Amino acid sequence: MTPSAHPSLYVAPSLEDALNALAERGADGAPLAGGTWIMRAPLRHEAKSPAFVGLGRVAGFGRIEVHDDHVIIGAGVTHARLAEALRDIPDLQGLAAAAGRSANPAVRRAATVGGNLCTAGFAAADLVPALLCLEAEVEIASRAGVQRLSLEAFLAARATLEPGRLLTQVHALRSSARSAHARLPLRKAGDYPVAILSMAVMRDDAGRVVRARVAVGSVEAVARRWPALEAALTGPPLDAASAERAATDLAGEFDGREGVDAPGWYRVAVLPALARRAVAALL
Amino acid sequence: MTVDAVMEFRRRDARDKLTGRTRYTIDRAAPGMLHAAVLRAEVASGRLVTVDTSKAAALPGVRAVATAADAPGRFGIGVSDHSLFADGQVRYVGEPLAAVAADTPEQAQAALAAIEVAIEPLPAVVTMAEALAPGAPLVHPDWQDYEVLPVGGARAGNVAWEATVVRGDVDAAFARPDVTVVESTFRVGRQNHMAFEPRAVVARYEEDRFHIETSTQVPWTIRNATARFLGVPASQVRVTVPPVGGAFGLKFDVAIEPFAALLAKKSGRAVRLVNSREEEMLTCLFRENAEILIRSAVTSEGEIAGREAVVLMDCGAHGGEQIFLTTMTAHTLGGNYKLGAVRLATRAVYTNTPPNGAFRACNGVYNTFALERHTDEIAAAIGMDPLELRRRTVLGDGDLGATGQVFEGDVLRPMLDRMEALRARTTPHEVDDGRLYGRATTVGTWFVFTGPSAATVNMNADGSATLVTSGVEIGSGSMMQGLPQIVAATLGIRPEDVIVRQADTDAAGYDVGVGGGRQTTSLGAASLAAAQDVRAKLLAFAAQLLEATPDDLVMANGRIEIAGPNGKGFTIAEVAARAQAALGPIGGTGAATRTGVPSMPGCVAGHFIDAIDIPVFAVHDCEVAVDRDTGHVEVLNYRVVQDVGRALNRSAIGGQIQGGVVQGLGYALHEEVSIDALGHIRQCGFETYRVPLAGDVVPVEVDLFEGAPSLGPLGIKGAGEVPILNVGATVACAVANATGRRVQELPLTPPRILSLLLGREPDLALPHIQPAFADNLLRPHGPEV
Amino acid sequence: MPTDMTVNGEARTSARDPLTPLIDVLRDEFHLTGAKPVCREGFCGACTVLVDGEPTVSCLTPVAMAGDCDVVTIEGLSSCGLTDIQSRLEQGDAVQCGMCFPGMVMTLSHFLAHTPQPNRDEVRAALTGNICRCTGYERIVEAALAVAGGRAEGRR
Ligand SMILES: Cc1cc2nc3c(=O)[nH]c(=O)nc-3n(C[C@@H](O)[C@@H](O)[C@H](O)COP(=O)(O)OP(=O)(O)OC[C@H]3O[C@@H](n4cnc5c(N)ncnc54)[C@H](O)[C@@H]3O)c2cc1C
Ligand code: FES
Ligand code: FES
Repeated sequence: MTPSAHPSLYVAPSLEDALNALAERGADGAPLAGGTWIMRAPLRHEAKSPAFVGLGRVAGFGRIEVHDDHVIIGAGVTHARLAEALRDIPDLQGLAAAAGRSANPAVRRAATVGGNLCTAGFAAADLVPALLCLEAEVEIASRAGVQRLSLEAFLAARATLEPGRLLTQVHALRSSARSAHARLPLRKAGDYPVAILSMAVMRDDAGRVVRARVAVGSVEAVARRWPALEAALTGPPLDAASAERAATDLAGEFDGREGVDAPGWYRVAVLPALARRAVAALL
Repeated sequence: MTVDAVMEFRRRDARDKLTGRTRYTIDRAAPGMLHAAVLRAEVASGRLVTVDTSKAAALPGVRAVATAADAPGRFGIGVSDHSLFADGQVRYVGEPLAAVAADTPEQAQAALAAIEVAIEPLPAVVTMAEALAPGAPLVHPDWQDYEVLPVGGARAGNVAWEATVVRGDVDAAFARPDVTVVESTFRVGRQNHMAFEPRAVVARYEEDRFHIETSTQVPWTIRNATARFLGVPASQVRVTVPPVGGAFGLKFDVAIEPFAALLAKKSGRAVRLVNSREEEMLTCLFRENAEILIRSAVTSEGEIAGREAVVLMDCGAHGGEQIFLTTMTAHTLGGNYKLGAVRLATRAVYTNTPPNGAFRACNGVYNTFALERHTDEIAAAIGMDPLELRRRTVLGDGDLGATGQVFEGDVLRPMLDRMEALRARTTPHEVDDGRLYGRATTVGTWFVFTGPSAATVNMNADGSATLVTSGVEIGSGSMMQGLPQIVAATLGIRPEDVIVRQADTDAAGYDVGVGGGRQTTSLGAASLAAAQDVRAKLLAFAAQLLEATPDDLVMANGRIEIAGPNGKGFTIAEVAARAQAALGPIGGTGAATRTGVPSMPGCVAGHFIDAIDIPVFAVHDCEVAVDRDTGHVEVLNYRVVQDVGRALNRSAIGGQIQGGVVQGLGYALHEEVSIDALGHIRQCGFETYRVPLAGDVVPVEVDLFEGAPSLGPLGIKGAGEVPILNVGATVACAVANATGRRVQELPLTPPRILSLLLGREPDLALPHIQPAFADNLLRPHGPEV
Repeated sequence: MPTDMTVNGEARTSARDPLTPLIDVLRDEFHLTGAKPVCREGFCGACTVLVDGEPTVSCLTPVAMAGDCDVVTIEGLSSCGLTDIQSRLEQGDAVQCGMCFPGMVMTLSHFLAHTPQPNRDEVRAALTGNICRCTGYERIVEAALAVAGGRAEGRR
């Protein structure tokens, strides 16, 4: 590690201060939110950044605003607080489940939304597919100003984001849709999911699907939407068995990643069952 | 005299453990202590060209550096094939190359980084198939030069040890016209103990002796092995053992102690060395991976006319415990059932992978898996109910074991009946939720690893007694419950009043170690003898005081009295105090070793024990539900009927059974170790190595079977090892019944099960096991010539 | 950059690098060895301490993040004798090697304070981040249910 003029961790009191500190540190600097990913760098044999800027005390970072037509989630909101805040909101049950069933209780109390979305090397992040189905947008701040972009665009750019930038908040529109999050850990709980299928579905009065959003996480390196399945679901009434059949027909478009926990074929092979479970949770 | 040591006595260490006050080895420090670290090889095989420590030694804070030149000796349980540091050749990823001690852990790490190492890579054998291939590179090219402790095992090249059993004419049995021949193959992966406390040591060099404080099950092995590695007399090494934070067999062999000892001597300071979790994962002395072919000739009535099997055990880069364990095939794979003729070959195979070791019930676990799945395949082949087949063929009174030992008493059959009664108490779980349901009952045979133990009991003038042994408290509670109970019951005092000395090789006599279910049996036998010695002395003295004969006296409830109502007497404290004044302090010593049950001459070759002194039987039963879409197995209920001889403390045994079964569920379902083509272990921590969590387990229903014959003290048997024995077997048989698929491998992870269900899994072929039994042997069965 | 905090009711200052895991400060600097560093990756829970009342894996918490916080370790959980959960665990003969219990006790104390009447599945879920390699969990779950008086409901 090259010695840095800055302390290994500086805890910033405000957003402005954090952005300034990050700008000063340039390529040496990096944000530290809950630390649940960063602190495990030695186990991954990765070097830690020389000068972290801690976000835990940044005023307003932990805010959750639930409005009638949209929600705003601060980057510093922990998984536990997110699950708690969304507990009774019907259209955001998928996101609530993603936050409330990830990891374990102590990690959920520390790990943040910002950390979950910003960890480029982490394929199994639960919140990413859940927010993709909500067509969420993220706000990225730097000293130069604030930029808002879709989560999808952010995921594509995330690995090459310039230093000095912070994800400050997540915006998601509310609707009459219902959402669900089907994750598959290898044990009952406590593992990273080997595959995730999140779903948000809007139906008309007759129960026919007018809009479907499906996202798949942990199967490939980065979570993504599954437009072909969305199309297959749209039109008829929601039905678990036909969702499973459609997913079986379409799953071939995924190229499962090999991992120590599971082989690539397995991640793809379980997608139909996850599609069925997600639909069943919506019925 | 009969001693009734049955109690519900709670362990005295619980309170400190619950309040964080217990100081394990990892919690210990000494003034001026240095921090050590070990440099480990990153390739599986190679010629070690240079290990240059000169730059590292010059770094700030570095106080001592040690390399192969400092540790000339070799050690091994059967074959002395283990050098402390790689000796010119690197044999596995993780093999130690050098060790350093510095003022801070960071300085020690910096020193490791500054050591210059050159290794010329050599081809590696990572699997047993590679190791046994013709012309395979040898893991130990100099295998012929190693000292071999016991004689009789065939060895050559990558076969570290070969043990054989032959009883009767197996060829004739297979040639009988009335038999069906059933053949099965199996493979299992490694299992990591994941003991919560890693291997840890604090070593000092004082008054020309080493004092090693370590987290171990085997203080005397540490003493003797350290001395051998360092080339010093064993009397120069003292080992003491604080409470151990979990062991399960992991700490049944020497580990990192000699590094700390060496560095302490070189630096003149106390040295602390603690394995990181990653080091624990990579060098854990796993339960070995194994491959098994088993073939039986069975009549339509279920009589097993002949059985033959070949078991390959991967010992990794050193023979270690596996060399001894080749013996145990005879008593596990060759156990459970009445056999006509039998022949078994077990080969410990060297590979360029981290060495394996002992783990709770060792190879018994997978041999039982193989045997019980094979038994179910036999039942299917002859069209008999699997339970009925077991009822007809399990070992009973007077039956011969594989090595010709005669079993006493009907144990397994009544245990099967008890299991049926236990099962009848709960209703089956099956519901129509799309999952596949299955159930199975299996039987298992294990043993108590007896052998030398010593104990001293000192009677104190205040009425308490001090028990001094080399026994270690590893969590099972035997030092906290069983042993003080035995001493207390013998002396008529409360178990709370028995002080148990922590293991110290300077204070207590030799002991094989805590493991193999031997704590309460071997140490118990020695402690019982020592307490009886004290009892006899106290009674003789009290008889004088009371003008009676010792036979007239009772010793109970803290008093020695003349038998009968209102008998005159004294408190034991009073007798002890008076005896101390008149004769000097009262103490007693006791010793125990294996009694030696005979086998049939000529049956075994290369075996460390020919027969088992104290067999232990187990019957397990469980119900599972298998998710056909994802391959997840849920264990719905689990039942154990366990042969305990006599239960001294039912609560303590119950705790061991629940814990052992859950470790077995991990082995059966979750805990996977994979080794890549370069010899790296891929699971490096709790994220990737998945042990059961609270949500994955069920409460085990337990029925303790008492009264089976036992040579153990007070009729007891070891109870802590055996609970894991047939869990892999039971879950595998239940999953096979649920899915109708041939289960041949463990662990049954969701991907493996889904693969079976989807027909992706080809039938397991083991081409490196020869079809003809004799072609697998280095030399024909028989004594070394 | 020293870090001030309250540890078991006393004001303490750590001189360690701010990124140092809290567990190392507690154990090596303050000599509070109750919390155990078993995995250092947030999975086992043996290092759990309370930070401002919340169970926290101290292996993943940089000490600077505990700055000005109130830290309670197993040593400081109770000033007089055993807490309810500790005595239930003792009575239930739940303890084996004991290494997991400092963390178990912290997690369960917090859980039982916030979930007065849990059922068996809730207790198990609460223990998802607390591994025990020795006991097979059931007695720990039983002890928690006993504290909550939830026995009748939880029994199967
Ligand atoms: C035991 C355990 C189990 C887990 N299980 C799961 C699981 O089931 N599902 C799951 O999704 N995750 C799981 N995780 C992963 C978990 O670490 C992350 O998902 C978590 O959300 C990361 O958040 P953090 O705040 O701790 O991130 P940190 O470790 O603080 O940071 C992670 C990365 O994000 C960057 N970063 C953080 N905040 C910002 C910001 N506002 N702007 C820009 N960059 C930022 C950091 O620089 C760093 O690169 C688990 C972790 C552990 C330890
Ligand atoms: S050591 Fe912190 S969770 Fe395991
Ligand atoms: S008692 Fe040993 S880890 Fe829980």
